[in-house]
Amino acid sequence: MESSAEEYAAFEEKVKRTVYLDNLSPQVTESVIRSALEQFALVKSVSFIPNYLGTSSLPLCALVELDSAKKVKEVEAMIKQYPFMMTGMPRPVRARPSVMEMFDDRPIKPKRKMKCCWLEQSDPDFEVAKELKNLTRKHSAEITLMHNILSKEEEKLSTQQAETLKVHYKKYKMIESIMTDRAAHTLARKYNLAVADE
Amino acid sequence: MIEEKKDPGFEWGKKKGFGGKNREVIFYESFIYDGVAYTLYDSVYLYKEDEPEPFVGKIIRIWESGDKKKRVKVLWFFRPCEILNFLEGYEVRENELFLAAGEGLGLANVNPLEAIAGKCNVACILKDDRNPHPLDVDLQNADFICYRFFDVGKHKILDKIEDKIAGIEVKNIFNNLYSQKLGGLSKLGLDEKEVSVKVTTSNEAAALSSEKNNQLLVEKLGVKGFDNVDSRDKTLPQAKEKENGIYTTSLAKQKSFAKLSHFSRDSLELKEISKIGGNVSIDKTLLKSKTNLDMGGHNIVGIPDGHINKQLAEGKVSEKEKYGISSAKMTNNVKSRRNYDEDDGVKEVPSKKPKIDTMSVKHSDDKLPDRQINKRLGEGKAFEMEKYGAPIARKTNNVQHRRKYYNNDDDEDDEKEVPSKKLKIDTMPAKLARDKLQKESSTTSLNLEHKLDYRVMEVTQRPDIDRSKWFKPMAWEERMKNACEQGKLVRLENLDPSLTSSEVQNIIWHGFEESCTAKMIQKTAYSSPHSGQAFVIFKRKEAAESVVRKLEEGCFLMSNGRPLVGSFELPCLSRKKPIFYGHHAIDQPRQRETKDALSTSHCSQPNNIEYDMALEWCLLQEREDKSWRRLYQRQGEELRKLKAKLKSKI
Repeated sequence: MESSAEEYAAFEEKVKRTVYLDNLSPQVTESVIRSALEQFALVKSVSFIPNYLGTSSLPLCALVELDSAKKVKEVEAMIKQYPFMMTGMPRPVRARPSVMEMFDDRPIKPKRKMKCCWLEQSDPDFEVAKELKNLTRKHSAEITLMHNILSKEEEKLSTQQAETLKVHYKKYKMIESIMTDRAAHTLARKYNLAVADE
Repeated sequence: MIEEKKDPGFEWGKKKGFGGKNREVIFYESFIYDGVAYTLYDSVYLYKEDEPEPFVGKIIRIWESGDKKKRVKVLWFFRPCEILNFLEGYEVRENELFLAAGEGLGLANVNPLEAIAGKCNVACILKDDRNPHPLDVDLQNADFICYRFFDVGKHKILDKIEDKIAGIEVKNIFNNLYSQKLGGLSKLGLDEKEVSVKVTTSNEAAALSSEKNNQLLVEKLGVKGFDNVDSRDKTLPQAKEKENGIYTTSLAKQKSFAKLSHFSRDSLELKEISKIGGNVSIDKTLLKSKTNLDMGGHNIVGIPDGHINKQLAEGKVSEKEKYGISSAKMTNNVKSRRNYDEDDGVKEVPSKKPKIDTMSVKHSDDKLPDRQINKRLGEGKAFEMEKYGAPIARKTNNVQHRRKYYNNDDDEDDEKEVPSKKLKIDTMPAKLARDKLQKESSTTSLNLEHKLDYRVMEVTQRPDIDRSKWFKPMAWEERMKNACEQGKLVRLENLDPSLTSSEVQNIIWHGFEESCTAKMIQKTAYSSPHSGQAFVIFKRKEAAESVVRKLEEGCFLMSNGRPLVGSFELPCLSRKKPIFYGHHAIDQPRQRETKDALSTSHCSQPNNIEYDMALEWCLLQEREDKSWRRLYQRQGEELRKLKAKLKSKI
């Protein structure tokens, strides 16, 4: 199934038109993304990148194909400049340009030559290759660990923010209540302070 | 009416009727092609260019169109590999086929008659009132079995079936009595020569001749075995040939059994080398003797056995006993061959000949009572077959070796076994049940002990094995989940991240000669730029295990100094609600506006708490990014250093 050069070029164009979003909440659906980005550009297609690896707490990632490469830059700049919320607050989503490897149905690069061979045990490279294999495993373990650590960090920030929010909420609630039951006015009069009228 | 065709191997059989506007279309019930008689509702192989294995189908209509084109309509059988995507969760037997049913693409279609490559023996073992249960012998000789159906419209496996498939009554489709009924009539006429000689002779004479023949045959088997092993004698005693023919004819007469006739035809006319039972095509001149040998065996086993069984059941023993015995032995013979196939370590051979002769003489002289015959049929395989079996087994071994040779060009060991003549095994894949078995076993063993080829291979497109393009595949996630439960799922690491899924499949094909379905894990912002990963579903658990083991023990190096890493690490497929940190909501009844604000997407403005918190997240995201960057940078460095040590660069 050699893909033709034209096909490949068309795919390259598509990659350029596509913006990659991550830090998405699991509640985000295609329609949410469409309605969110339609204020900036015409959304042609949305596809989520399934996460088969690693921790389940990884946020969603999606590829959103827009109508032009220029729009991708605009969306990206906009989302970078202002924290952009989707279906929830306050964790913002992130946007980046997409790269080919993010796509599932990508065509084979034309004229690409792959080679492979089994190494004999006597081959001096055999040991090196073995080490490389081990290194690969080690790296993948490191990546898993990294995911866990970062996920913990996120959790920490999240709980901390929840706490802050609760305190803020309590504060505003209190202010609201003393304003409504006129306790603030009573006190203001008592201390002879000016109070903003309702 | 029957036109003389260019093709001498073709002849129409019984006419069934006319069709078309001017009755220019003639429907038939049977025909002979390439020396093989085909009847309506026969199962056949259909050969297609570029396909590694022939299709299997059932002829449901035969006709000649107005412009003298010969056509057959074929109802398809599916090999499990063709509908692999819909078989998740089903146990599939090695030689199982699924008959197409329902309505839709892939049910049946019209083919030129010439596409037929040979007869195929499919035994339908469905337990159904409408299906006559096949005889045990038939089952043993079956190339394939079938008891389930594949609905081409709904893409589902069915256990039961309606009364009609593609407008054909299923009773015709099941083990069909139709062709048996028809066979005797239409075929005998074709074998005029034999018939005219033999029809008049009495039953007894026929039996006698067959007995004599058997004796001779048995002896010949021994001799032939010798010849094959020693000198590969190419001469074929004409006498035996004839007797073989007579023998079969007499049987044909007695039973009017469809299949016989084409065998006798084959043997009498010394036609081109037969497919044994429509099958293994081996070099014509060279292996004629062998084929005949086989044919003899097959004839006796395939058909008369049923006959014998029947007679025995009826209690009519009489003069047929001897013949029964020798044929029982023949069965054994073949069985033993099968046995030997499994452990192909038979090396001693010819010295057994005397014993064979005495055996055969003894048995044909003795009048064994009915019971004993039955017993022999049932269990007597053990001893005499060893003796008979040896030469034949040796022969089969040859075939096997040859096939190995064909499968694996660099299997130097076997080369001396192979006659220098060019083999044309590839023109028609072997199809006999036992050959099938043998093939199966030889390929599996090949795979298991598959000696690794240490040469550098260039990865090209693998031969397309899954011919399931007709049907939309099942969702990958579903398949992965099933495969995971069945232990067929392997995770590959250290692939070039820019590889595509199909390239991964090609690599696996080249490295392990296993076909699989692969899926590259799509990259995200966090994925490693150094090691691409893929999930691969193999067809069998054993294949997956062997791949992982080989990857563990050996080193499979790919371009840019990447040794492939494989493991059974399971994918993350849990359906539980994913945790997502960082979205808070105040669990108080809110006003309508805030609710709406939450569910819509918006840019945050720097005048509220939300903005501050969002910035905290942005900060965290930046830090994460940096961590990843540094991690991958370090990993890249480590890899680079190690790769520099590699001497060969591919």
